[in-house]
Amino acid sequence: MLCSGRILTLPPIPRHPSWRFTPAGRIGRPQPPAILKWRPMAARDADAAASSFSSSVDTAAAGDSAEKNPSGFCIIEGPETVQDFAKMEFQEIQDNIRSRRNKIFLHMEEVRRLRIQQRIKSAEQGILGERQENELPDFPSFIPFLPPLTPSNLKMYYATCFSLIGGIIIFGGLLAPTLELKLGLGGTSYADFIRSMHLPMQLSQVDPIVASFSGGAVGVISALMVVEINNVKQQEQKRCKYCLGTGYLACARCSSTGTLVLTEPVATINGGDQPLSPPRTDRCSNCSGSGKVMCPTCLCTGMAMASEHDPRIDPFD
Amino acid sequence: MSGSIVWVATPKEASRSSGFNQFVGVTRRWWRSSSAGWSCARSASTARRSVSASLVVTPPRSSEELVYDVVLRQAALVGDARRKRAVEAPPAPLRGDLLDAAYERCGEVCAEYAKTFYLGTMLMTPERRRAIWAIYVWCRRTDELVDGPNASHITPTALDRWSNRLEDLFAGRPYDMYDAALSDTVSKFPVDMQPFKDMVEGMRMDLRKSRYKNFDELYLYCYYVAGTVGLMSVPVMGIAPDSKASAESVYGAALALGIANQLTNILRDVGEDSRRGRVYLPQDELAQAGLSDDDVFEGRVTDKWRTFMKGQITRARMFFDEAEKGIYELNSASRWPVLASLLLYRQILDAIEANDYNNFTKRAYVGKAKKLASLPIAYAKAVIVGPSKFAGTL
Repeated sequence: MLCSGRILTLPPIPRHPSWRFTPAGRIGRPQPPAILKWRPMAARDADAAASSFSSSVDTAAAGDSAEKNPSGFCIIEGPETVQDFAKMEFQEIQDNIRSRRNKIFLHMEEVRRLRIQQRIKSAEQGILGERQENELPDFPSFIPFLPPLTPSNLKMYYATCFSLIGGIIIFGGLLAPTLELKLGLGGTSYADFIRSMHLPMQLSQVDPIVASFSGGAVGVISALMVVEINNVKQQEQKRCKYCLGTGYLACARCSSTGTLVLTEPVATINGGDQPLSPPRTDRCSNCSGSGKVMCPTCLCTGMAMASEHDPRIDPFD
Repeated sequence: MSGSIVWVATPKEASRSSGFNQFVGVTRRWWRSSSAGWSCARSASTARRSVSASLVVTPPRSSEELVYDVVLRQAALVGDARRKRAVEAPPAPLRGDLLDAAYERCGEVCAEYAKTFYLGTMLMTPERRRAIWAIYVWCRRTDELVDGPNASHITPTALDRWSNRLEDLFAGRPYDMYDAALSDTVSKFPVDMQPFKDMVEGMRMDLRKSRYKNFDELYLYCYYVAGTVGLMSVPVMGIAPDSKASAESVYGAALALGIANQLTNILRDVGEDSRRGRVYLPQDELAQAGLSDDDVFEGRVTDKWRTFMKGQITRARMFFDEAEKGIYELNSASRWPVLASLLLYRQILDAIEANDYNNFTKRAYVGKAKKLASLPIAYAKAVIVGPSKFAGTL
């Protein structure tokens, strides 16, 4: 991409209709000599590369030049690259954006299919590929510094929260008055409550600050729990309802086993005493052996509103 | 079909013939895929010639008539289906528990997207409930292909592929678990494929059309997206064995219920649709009332709008009345849920009136209390009124 970077530093040729989309432009044109003098090295290298480059540019120049000419585009923006896109009219920019986003969408689907083939081939050849992390996405916690939540994690979260609350209540209700903890100043209305409940008066000896602390902690923890549950519900809402976020549906042809049993009629007249051989199985053509087929609603993204940025889930995980 | 259409003055010949070309395409497909039950025994090649001949000789047929042909075909197939079932090979079995899981998922999807409808299915027998869920999920998935989050990427090829999947599942080779549930349903109930294909055609239509010149075009659209559902569900609901009414009339009533539902949807969602740039009201009727698309987009309730809406609501109510007659011919167990859904949906029209015909900004909503009150009323009607004792009373 170095050479293309250098080509891009050449000043852009003033407006030519078919040149709009190509940042590099037609290098074969007559350049103002002053510019060439400033960058002699770049120009020479550029020219060498340009001849091979411009041919590719020329072939792609008509109409869809931008789409068929990825080597002309460098992801590192220089000052002139921004200028090139700035030369487009508003409608052109919109059209370009739309066509590119469409392409991304289609390419992601191709990548998914290619990956399936890759998995099949590597499995056949016994090549061990690296494990890809593709289970259900974690829900990032709303509370900073806490690990992300998953639906399985949620049970432990409930248990932790409830035990914390229970512990604080026990602490404030039993431990503190028993130990006669005095953490500060407070009133005595709790004593009346204790007296009215006909419980041992010892329990009323809880220090109000202790009481307010435990009450506050319970409140905060339950509030945070509610926040997290809302978060989980919200993330669930973003899930595709048909595949429940997995991106795939069970293949009906092979009943999600991945294999089709080939039935062959066996003659029992001659050699009828021979035991039946186990039936041969073949990989299911529907799902390519994964037992799952694409969910057509979310297109393997698992999201209710799939966008072209959503990664497509692999079926083998 | 007694007086069910309020015919506005016939529109220009040009628009009629353009609509007619569409219908020709539709009918041509029917003739090609016709089975023994089709009364009009013409082959495909002669059909084309006779169609071109009829272009010269006979006036173009309205969509109402062409849709009624589908109804006739469905009714004719009712007798054939029983005979055919014995001959066909059984579909490839899906592992038992997987099928139950598939049906359960269908129920979950139904509960998620159509809560009132789901509650209505609870009034049915368990077998019918599962069948209706499977049909609902297929219709919903088809609708989401053109109306869902990924609709911008849908191509005609995708719809063709979807059609092929439909044919496969009817042949006992479902693709995924939801298809498997529908495949099981069509093997247990005598459901025909034609309404499903017509629904896919309706989706194709929706991709390119956002305006409807006259009620004829709108009627065809309503048939494609909602009338077909009525035709799909009659075999599941079942016709009462002691009913003297013809199968055609029952199917015709089911069609009317679908049309009525769709018209109600349209009248309720005028504002929402206009914000997406779509107007599902007949252009010529709007013009007759002195209104235009701009008035719809503007969203102001004027006296002209009120008059116009009154007429539209009256027409929708006529469809409901026609549909109700047919419900009493259904199997006794199915009358209650279908009647309940009719009453509930008809109340939406009342809600639009109560909103002073403001369907631009106000949502016509039927309160829970009113919904619950409809259930015993529907039950009473279902039990008291039985199937017609005399043929031809529909």
